[in-house]
Amino acid sequence: MNYRIGIDIGGTFTDFALLKGQELILHKNLSTPQDRSLGVIHGLEHLAKAEGKTLAHLLSDVDAIIHGTTVADNTLIEMNGACTGLLTTAGFRDELELRRGYKEDIWDVRLPPPTPIIPRRRRLGVPERIRFDGSVHTPLDEAAARKAIQRLAKQGVESVAIATLFSFVNPAHELRLAELVAEEIPGAYISLSHQVLPKSPEFERISTTAVNGYVGPRVTAYINRLCERLQDAGYRHQLLLMQSNGGVMTREYLAGSPIRVLASGPAGGVIGSAAIGAAKGASDLLCVDMGGTSYDVSVIRGGAAPAQSGWNWHHRYLVATPMVQVETLGAGGGSICSAASGRLQVGPASAGAAPGPICYGLGGTLPTVTDAILVLGLLSDDAGFAGGSFRLDRTGVDAALQAHVAGPLNCSVEEAAFDCWRVVNANMTQAVRRLTAEKGCNPEDLTLLAYGGNGPVFAAIQAQDLGIRRVLVPRTSPGFSATGALAAQPCIDEERSYIVCGTQADITRLRQFWEELDSRAEHFLLAAGFSRADIHCRYQLNLRYPGQNWSLTADAAAQSGARDLSFADETLIATMMNRFHQLHFDEYGHDRKGEPPEITGVRLVASTEIPMPHFTGGLTAERRTATPAKQRRANLGQGFCATDIYRGADLVPGHHVPGPAIIEEKFTTIVVYPGWNALPG
Amino acid sequence: MSFELNRRLVARRPALATSTTIDAVTASIVNGAFETICFEVATHLGRAASSAIINQSNERNASLIDANGRLAAVSVGIPQLLFVSPLAVRWGLENFVEDDWGPGDVFVGNDPDYGGGHLPDYTVYAPLFDEHGELVLIQALQAHQGDTGGKDPGGFSIDSRDIFGEGLGIPVLKLVHRGKPRRDAIDLLIRNNRFPSFAGDIAAMISAVQAGVRSLQVLLTRYGVETVKAAVNYNIDQTNARFRQAVAQWPDGEYPAHVWIDQDTAGNPDVHVQVTCRISGDQLTVDMTGSDSRPELVNVWNTFANTRGYAIAQLASMVDPDINKNEGLFYAVEMIIPEGSILQPAPNKPAALGSFHPAVEVGEAICIALSPILPQRSAPQVYKLGMPSAVIGFNEAGEMWMDQGVDVRASDASATQGLDGWGAMCAGLGNLILATAEDAESRFPVLNLSREMTTDTGGAGRWRGQPGTRNIKQVLEPVSAMTWMVSRKHPLRGLNGGDDAPPYCNIFLLGTDEEFEVENAVNAQLPAGAITSYQYGGGAGFEDPLLRDPTAVQEDVLDEYVSIAAARERYGVVLTGSLDDWNVAIDVDKTAQLRGARLAARAAGGAR
Repeated sequence: MNYRIGIDIGGTFTDFALLKGQELILHKNLSTPQDRSLGVIHGLEHLAKAEGKTLAHLLSDVDAIIHGTTVADNTLIEMNGACTGLLTTAGFRDELELRRGYKEDIWDVRLPPPTPIIPRRRRLGVPERIRFDGSVHTPLDEAAARKAIQRLAKQGVESVAIATLFSFVNPAHELRLAELVAEEIPGAYISLSHQVLPKSPEFERISTTAVNGYVGPRVTAYINRLCERLQDAGYRHQLLLMQSNGGVMTREYLAGSPIRVLASGPAGGVIGSAAIGAAKGASDLLCVDMGGTSYDVSVIRGGAAPAQSGWNWHHRYLVATPMVQVETLGAGGGSICSAASGRLQVGPASAGAAPGPICYGLGGTLPTVTDAILVLGLLSDDAGFAGGSFRLDRTGVDAALQAHVAGPLNCSVEEAAFDCWRVVNANMTQAVRRLTAEKGCNPEDLTLLAYGGNGPVFAAIQAQDLGIRRVLVPRTSPGFSATGALAAQPCIDEERSYIVCGTQADITRLRQFWEELDSRAEHFLLAAGFSRADIHCRYQLNLRYPGQNWSLTADAAAQSGARDLSFADETLIATMMNRFHQLHFDEYGHDRKGEPPEITGVRLVASTEIPMPHFTGGLTAERRTATPAKQRRANLGQGFCATDIYRGADLVPGHHVPGPAIIEEKFTTIVVYPGWNALPG
Repeated sequence: MSFELNRRLVARRPALATSTTIDAVTASIVNGAFETICFEVATHLGRAASSAIINQSNERNASLIDANGRLAAVSVGIPQLLFVSPLAVRWGLENFVEDDWGPGDVFVGNDPDYGGGHLPDYTVYAPLFDEHGELVLIQALQAHQGDTGGKDPGGFSIDSRDIFGEGLGIPVLKLVHRGKPRRDAIDLLIRNNRFPSFAGDIAAMISAVQAGVRSLQVLLTRYGVETVKAAVNYNIDQTNARFRQAVAQWPDGEYPAHVWIDQDTAGNPDVHVQVTCRISGDQLTVDMTGSDSRPELVNVWNTFANTRGYAIAQLASMVDPDINKNEGLFYAVEMIIPEGSILQPAPNKPAALGSFHPAVEVGEAICIALSPILPQRSAPQVYKLGMPSAVIGFNEAGEMWMDQGVDVRASDASATQGLDGWGAMCAGLGNLILATAEDAESRFPVLNLSREMTTDTGGAGRWRGQPGTRNIKQVLEPVSAMTWMVSRKHPLRGLNGGDDAPPYCNIFLLGTDEEFEVENAVNAQLPAGAITSYQYGGGAGFEDPLLRDPTAVQEDVLDEYVSIAAARERYGVVLTGSLDDWNVAIDVDKTAQLRGARLAARAAGGAR
């Protein structure tokens, strides 16, 4: 019997999903922040024991370990990355600080600057210049470069980001600078912008490369350590790492741009959602993940969660590598509720995991969303919550709600709790609408998929708010990212800038780009043990109308197996321009057929398929009403009343739970709002 | 088209008629939905528009206006401009019957003498009716157009003596009637614009407000018309009350300020903006009496709607950022804007450049006036650059191209108490996303040679201004280059004892025999290879530089924001060592001596 294992490391818990044939076995243990690879080994030992095997024996039977890591995110949260320097084109040393003018709040003159990951003293310009066509305008001044590098060395720089103008067209100067750095600072960690993000414009590329330099050494060291431990323990294959684009890839591929693992945790959840949606016949999904501190939203259309590169801000830095678009809102269960000047505010302040909500009894004193929904009766403070290991405690909750919400709003505690619930719903609805607006889609056309500890509490009411009629809740909801990792496929998603009017595009040039991208992808995928026959390639172009800033991506061809670029013939460009007109009309409600669009980038998405869990089960036509375990006073949006409570373990496919009702699962609660029906699948 | 019309347009409008009452939470939920819909509308335009100023620089602002012409909500954008649309829409509303308003209509207006901003700022708006055919809300969208069909390309003219030289003025024009686009009207606009891409911009603006109306329709259905009306009323009242609560905390009194602009585009010197902020209880009056009204002034005439917008934007930055931005701000603040002055010009004055200056000086003067009593929120929300250097040429096909010069730069990022200036610009311009070299050079025959911050170009202070950048650009083909310089003689003012920002300096034909510094306005023909060098002014300082923590000065020296010489000269901090040897250290004793001597000299009446 061969296994596959998905592993997701969160702030508090490390989640494991072991796929054994068609059986999915979940496990959860505490993370080990000092050396997270230890927690992984502990969990694997537990899984081995449960299978009646030694760790070595289990690992020798494992085909693939797929891992989502938050090391890059944690480095940026804690701001403890490498001492990093930046070498760039003389005259451009301040891009990282100027941020194209962007500030997060246009109304707040007291917003502080972001913590500098590379202060100005370690951002040095080097005389050199390459033009947009790759020609050398000013040769690299090596003497000046050495001097700059020595200045970095004096400051103890251990990681050097190198990002010069138009290096993605001609990388000669960046490559030479890398050699000079290696000579002057032996052992320095080097990030090259034409490898990290080979595309324009400069701010996006410089910033992404800088962040890569800052987090790279820690991420790489962690991955290397984990690989070693796994190897020592008997694992014989390559570790596959979750990327923020939703695909997985090997350590070898990520070595050039480890920044690609940033924000990969949420991406795993989204990919898992897509797989569940596919199994349940829902290809257009709104995925919501509400945990303790944040509420993550993303959209899947046509069964896919397209990664977008560009204006992705994380921890106040722009990282423009392709990312599954996940919008994070400060409204998790730990978000703090407060009222002032007649306004009720929920989040972004959060009680986090520690001290957490008051009802966790860990020292929290400020009322949170979790406390409010406890007052509403949506959560239970009975013994046995969360599978018996953890009990919520209402002591102090009412007084805090009275002091911070009910008092200022001049209402009762229960009314205050209800208002908090309403505001959370409204905040979530706004976040979703913003996301769907940017994507140009209508929430009413989506199925809502909810996970995370608190997601299913709000899912149905939020769906109702958005006009959504169907909600899916996976049984593995609380530790969903590990399951999601099992559903992720190896994927290389890269782009090269090529800005040219469609009518003047050179088809030979396009083919060259695709060949280069294809060869690169093939190299890494073959090295990861896949065969060419298994590689699926989507060849794409980015296009826009003259003057536009935002491009739309259109598929040129999709094929599996041996490389065949015969689709890229003389007729292709005209075909692509027509596809773009249609795409633009679909997206924005008008087109400009008289104007030839311009090409802005050449893309390739190369992927392979590996076995994933079958999220089957599915709905049966037969309906039997389940029996509630008990009743509890709760307010499900229509005032307090006695509400049926079901135990999740009692429910089987074919059961039918009419709202208002509450289903209590291990680690999570599903609220079935009035007018809704829950159908266990 | 008269002062009388302006008075009518700004007259206080009543609340929407409804007997429904609403609770705070529902009202804030509806407000959130409004803001989101505005965001959707602005995003739609940004994605679909063709002009860099809209799709890259985000110079597009969506707002919601109620049936009585009151500002109900805004989205992200440029604060000053977010407040401008209501007056243009009110002119449209005055003609509700004659213009046969109905569901599915879309209008446009841009005329400064009919409630508009300057001509390039088109306000496109679409009404929303309830099921009984009663007007409820109007979705408005304002965006800066790359051209307005005037005598000079680009919408700006440095020597236009009236508005007709600047382009096509549109009090109101119906673009879509009951859902059907009016080809005749849209063609008129397209014909009066030099950029072929304008057709895409106007199509995108229309489809964006239509999308907004559809979203609003859903909102009406969900909450009911009366609830939505009650929410509008509630939120406006709430903003009014919260702003007044803030004012009530401020000490009563009269706080005057004067700001000067170097000169108008014809060389008339020292254009004067005067503001007196009067506080009495919870009432703030912003009195602009005394501001310049010389009839011979050229191009420094701000539009009436913009004067109001710039004043409110500055004030909104000086209170809790959490207060909703809507008509309540106009309820709370009384503005006295002298008729015939540069802040409320007589009809037909040119208005394009006035939206830079004296527009920003209105905000600057308010900030200076209130800085003694609001030190923690006194950062001027300004851009003191005259106008960007626009470079215009023609390609082989004879089509015009324009590099608008809204390049990545640092300018005017000022300090406030407890916080150094940072980033590229003031907070209010945080959505104006600046143009990149790689994109510009792929489109236009230009080369960006440098744009780093220049050491010692931020105003010194206990909290210092961010240095300005020096943007050096080479043109690779013959072009015409147009610019207007201010802030050379009267740079951005330091506050509460902080230093002024250093002056702006713009040099054309750098490194040639013909090199010259632009002293005023210029529309120059530059040969291929010509280089321009634009030193932007940095931010202003806040409080006495001698009070700055010496360690912070040392850090600034390491980062080359401040030189070792300026550390001594401007901060009284004596440093030893050098950057080359990376051993810069504070001489504690000499620093104490020097600072002591400076303070003593100052106490004795010496200059700082």
